[in-house]
Amino acid sequence: MGARKFGPGSAIGLAFGLLFAVFPLFWMVSTSFKPSNEWVTTPPVWVSENGTVTNYLVILWPSVLLEQRGGLGQYTEEGEVTAQRATESDAVSGAVADFLTKSAWQSIRGSIIISVLSTMLSIVVGFMAAIAIARYRFGGNVTPFFILSGRMFPPIAIAIPFVVMFSAPGIEATDSYWGLILAYAAVTVPFSTWMLKSFIDELPQEIEEAAMMDGMSRWEAHIKVTVPLIKGGLIATSLFIFILNWSEFLFALVLTYTNVETIPVKLSKYFSATSGQQYGIQAALACVSIVPLVIVGFFIQRHLVRGLTLGAIKR
Amino acid sequence: MANIKLELVELRKEFGELIAVDDMSLACEEGETMALLGPSGCGKSTTLNMIVGLEAPTSGDILIDGQSVLQVPPGQRNVGLVFQDYAVFTHMNVRRNLEYGLRVRGMARADIDREVAKVATFLHLEHQLDYKPLELGASELQRVAIGRTLVTNPEILLLDEPLSNLEAEMRNQMRRELRRIQAETGQTIIYVTHDQIEALSLAHRIAVMDFGQLKQYDTAHNVYHYPDNTFVGSFLGNPPMNFVHGQFGHDGNRPVVAQNGSIIPVPAASAGAVSDGADVIVGMRPESMMLAEADDPEAFTASVIAVEPQGPETVLTARIGQSDLKLVVETGTQAHEGAEIAIRPDAELLALFDAASGVRFKA
Repeated sequence: MGARKFGPGSAIGLAFGLLFAVFPLFWMVSTSFKPSNEWVTTPPVWVSENGTVTNYLVILWPSVLLEQRGGLGQYTEEGEVTAQRATESDAVSGAVADFLTKSAWQSIRGSIIISVLSTMLSIVVGFMAAIAIARYRFGGNVTPFFILSGRMFPPIAIAIPFVVMFSAPGIEATDSYWGLILAYAAVTVPFSTWMLKSFIDELPQEIEEAAMMDGMSRWEAHIKVTVPLIKGGLIATSLFIFILNWSEFLFALVLTYTNVETIPVKLSKYFSATSGQQYGIQAALACVSIVPLVIVGFFIQRHLVRGLTLGAIKR
Repeated sequence: MANIKLELVELRKEFGELIAVDDMSLACEEGETMALLGPSGCGKSTTLNMIVGLEAPTSGDILIDGQSVLQVPPGQRNVGLVFQDYAVFTHMNVRRNLEYGLRVRGMARADIDREVAKVATFLHLEHQLDYKPLELGASELQRVAIGRTLVTNPEILLLDEPLSNLEAEMRNQMRRELRRIQAETGQTIIYVTHDQIEALSLAHRIAVMDFGQLKQYDTAHNVYHYPDNTFVGSFLGNPPMNFVHGQFGHDGNRPVVAQNGSIIPVPAASAGAVSDGADVIVGMRPESMMLAEADDPEAFTASVIAVEPQGPETVLTARIGQSDLKLVVETGTQAHEGAEIAIRPDAELLALFDAASGVRFKA
């Protein structure tokens, strides 16, 4: 087999595609190292010559920054804060102080706890549902479709009922970790069910039956035989669900207030009437937020490739 | 009579409206090889799954050594099933596959090694123990599948279409292998197949199924030579049994079946209590008919419409009335297309069926 020639045409096409896909990422990284006066300028600053880690200090270690600058006033672009203006913009400076003194650690922690636990919950529930559907034809043709119907309307349409339910006396699940974990698991179970179902369908049922013939119960057969054989699929599905949960914004916004915060919600707070338009800080937090996914993705890429080539020998 | 190993008592399985197995009863003796034979979807695999416990019957009972096993989970029925697609674990090497059932049962390490070595030697897998299943050929894989079942020393060994994934040559080899296993271990073997040649060549007894119903259960010889009904006659044999529709009657003293003026003399013994004028079907095996002299009183005439030599044998297609018959005769027999020939069916093997039900008239 002769390798197809990689001509200049394909090189240009590829370069263009790559540019298109990677430019936003580049811009995010670049902006995260810019001082505030270079965030929005004409002509744009592509790569800052006055690179700074200030933006990262704001989200990660604001105390270091405050010490360096000797107070808040100097950071805000107005320079010296007059007593007059301070009174006028009390509310504003209060908010500014809040976002500058409060690091993003709470939201990073919140995102990790919520995404990890809700992904685990979704995978466990999804796996059991997928087994029931794929192996025992549970619910005939209707149930699998019903499970999917949760994804058939815009998220806001279910976000509002969630708010109402979660606010009900006796439930009070708003602004709590477990509330958001349940909500995330509920909306991702259709994905995990259907993805895992397709992996299980690939696996001949005989494999599990053989294990049962050897004396395992159904549960044992599914846990000890099915799970290891669809490991790649489980990992791929977990990563997919994790990404969904990690980047979810709407539910986190409407279901949390102050106790619980996730990164996407925190990101939105750097761009608001009270905080102003903190593009550099926003970009810095965005950069921080992709780090875990990049690390995880790097370690499991082997499984992602193998996720589809699993199972036993078929004829 | 040897011990009855397995008995099915009015075994029935319904999937919603569909009756997959319709009140099936049969008994299988110890040390016997029994084939469940039938077309796809006839319920033979469902029957197999009920015997091993992977499916629960709707009604009826399954007895192993006289004990009902309905309440016994699959792993404890002491039956072994070899799956059609092998169900060999690809993430384990051959040795791990072979010892899997014993490990699950919690056998001691030394015993496991001994049993695995025994089975590996028996199935000629000694040199493949450290290979991964994907590195093996189809017949080796098949032997691994049989081995991992055999190693657990089951009371009954069940095989689901064990040869269907193999190529013709491998199939012959594996067939010999299965016969050897049966002979050397004295295992009771139940064998599901849709291939009549396989059933005829391996099984002592054959249960022929169609649409969930047991059509006939008898020795391989009897099922082939004395089919109980037209389905069994047509399902076994290649070419299948010839069927000629007609009216039963008498030509003088001699019982005959008439169709459009052509008559086929039938032996009195086969006619039994059939009344004159009844609609019947005459069944004749292609190889149980021979060419006869024109004046033979037990013969009928037909015209040859096709001659297909197939090595030592030739298949003749002859027409009588509106029916086509296939005959297997020795190559070199003087018959050419368009010729009128006299055919004498073997009186012993000719069968008379009721035209409406397809059931054989018993003498």
